[in-house]
Amino acid sequence: MPEHTGKSILCIEDERFISELYSRALLKAGYRVEIVEDGKEALKMAQTDKYDIILLDLMIPNLTGIEILRKLRGTPDAPDLHSKIIVFTNLEQRDDVKADIEKQADGYIVKAEITPHELVDFLAKLK
Amino acid sequence: MDYLQRFVRQAQLQLWAVLMFSSCLIATAWWLGSTVFKLRPGLLAIVFTAVTILVTGLIAWAAARYFLKPLQVVWQTVLHLAPSTNGEAPPKADSLRFGKELVTVLSNHIYELTAVPKVAESQPLQADLQHNFLAQNLPIPLFILDPQENITFANLAAGEYLGLKPADMVGKNAYMVLDMSFPSEDTFDNWLKGAKTAKATAVKSWERVKLNVRDSHPVRLFDLAAYYNRDNPEKIETMLVLFDHTRQYSQEDQAVSFTALSVHELRTPLSLLRGYIEVLDEELDGKLSPELQAFMLKMQAQAEQLTAFVNNILNVARVDDDQLELKLEQEDWGATLKSTVEMIGLQAKVRGITIQCSIARNLPAAAIDKLSIREVVNNLIDNAIKYSGSSKVIKVDTYLNKAGQIETTIQDFGVGIPTSVIPNLFTKFYRDHHNRASIGGTGLGLYLSKAIITAHGGNLWVRSPGEGKGSVFGFTVLPYDQLPENLKPTGGQDVTRTAHGWIKNHSLYRR
Repeated sequence: MPEHTGKSILCIEDERFISELYSRALLKAGYRVEIVEDGKEALKMAQTDKYDIILLDLMIPNLTGIEILRKLRGTPDAPDLHSKIIVFTNLEQRDDVKADIEKQADGYIVKAEITPHELVDFLAKLK
Repeated sequence: MDYLQRFVRQAQLQLWAVLMFSSCLIATAWWLGSTVFKLRPGLLAIVFTAVTILVTGLIAWAAARYFLKPLQVVWQTVLHLAPSTNGEAPPKADSLRFGKELVTVLSNHIYELTAVPKVAESQPLQADLQHNFLAQNLPIPLFILDPQENITFANLAAGEYLGLKPADMVGKNAYMVLDMSFPSEDTFDNWLKGAKTAKATAVKSWERVKLNVRDSHPVRLFDLAAYYNRDNPEKIETMLVLFDHTRQYSQEDQAVSFTALSVHELRTPLSLLRGYIEVLDEELDGKLSPELQAFMLKMQAQAEQLTAFVNNILNVARVDDDQLELKLEQEDWGATLKSTVEMIGLQAKVRGITIQCSIARNLPAAAIDKLSIREVVNNLIDNAIKYSGSSKVIKVDTYLNKAGQIETTIQDFGVGIPTSVIPNLFTKFYRDHHNRASIGGTGLGLYLSKAIITAHGGNLWVRSPGEGKGSVFGFTVLPYDQLPENLKPTGGQDVTRTAHGWIKNHSLYRR
């Protein structure tokens, strides 16, 4: 079963029930998962480029998901990360924010639309 | 509105003045002719007619020169100020933009018509404009900039808008006075740079520009229109016209963010509920009694229904804000329909209803936005389930109709719809049918489905043989090769859209 063994995920999410639930399914599928709740800390961890996938919630304390995304992908001096950044949110965005996400993220998921199993299937589609 | 009133009063005064003056001329001509020169009645009539024609001509000329063109501007202005003053619906975005550009060009005409010719070369231009009541009293803020982007004229409305005296703004750099934030990279100064190098004249308008005024004034939101003319002999290059929409835009922003926040609050517990149900279902597989297993299934079906409902709310807000964005792509309609029917199958299953799905073989690829079309099918099947009564079958058919469009029908054999109710079915919140009093639902589904299908270039219809005889809902979508070129996707093929979101097929990794 663990076909994704070795792939690591950084889950940036401050709602513990959510991170606990989804990481359970991801761990079972063979991913390594690290969870971080604070925006500033999350940015530091993401910049190390240790992760294959970054699941990015938008409403997190200290630094919002959008600010993190812009710092990782939106500026000329942004680090060239190999990580795939997947925005993982339930929040509707304004058009300007939506445009930034479409330009800078590798994927977008509406949390309410996806069950933990479906998340595993979705991530498996990442090339 | 006091600017507009003042403006109209001044226009009336000037018209009266012209009329009084011309009446005096005519009366004087009569008096001179009859008493001073003692002309014969025949000659007197000729002279009098000539003078009248001359005076009428003069009035007509003056009216055309000083009033008609400016009146067009006023007319446009009133039309475009209408949305924020009397609550009338604003015109469609495109015509609004066009209208605003037109007003700007016309305002420039007022300026050129009424101000320029009288100015001596040595005299500063603004001196004359200051005395021009039209430019001064136009109820919309107006700025004129020279080639160095210094303000050479600002009208009374501009002064009031910024809380500054117009005279204090003249001579200052426009960027110092007008602290504007644009919603995108496409800003006024970028446009002006481009216009200066490329074009002799250019017109452009922007929406939702933020104007940060002095501390004591709140931020204003407006549409901005600019007119550029490089070859203007008076070296007046740029005219800026500001259309205030602060009230309208801030209300809209609040509405959008309120819906977005409510939806967020609803969605988070929903994500969790659906996740926990999935975990329990998996872990308890085979350990539950048939009754509990059925409860589990019902719980899952209800959670899914709630998710669909929350999406409906969000999409209705988008439709109402004109923000429903569709990405029409080339898709296999049969497969899309089949998977959608399977997804909602759970709702039918827990109610013991069978969905019979028949898909014609000769279907061409369809032009659809998969996610939105799924919502339409979901809403229609959901309705069919709700109104099935004791009937246990729902039929879904799809085929190529006579017009060459892909038509899909969803038929139930339940309570049916009285003919009198049909015209109101697609109205928001319409549920006023006695048979339906006991049935849940908000009446949002059909309203939304209609909007989505219309945006696909298709048609949504309903037919019912009468109460107790069930009903048929049908909709059409276009085959992809019938889709007008301008609606086809541009460069979006490297993104895969799924029921849960999207992923890019290429890497953003640069190395």
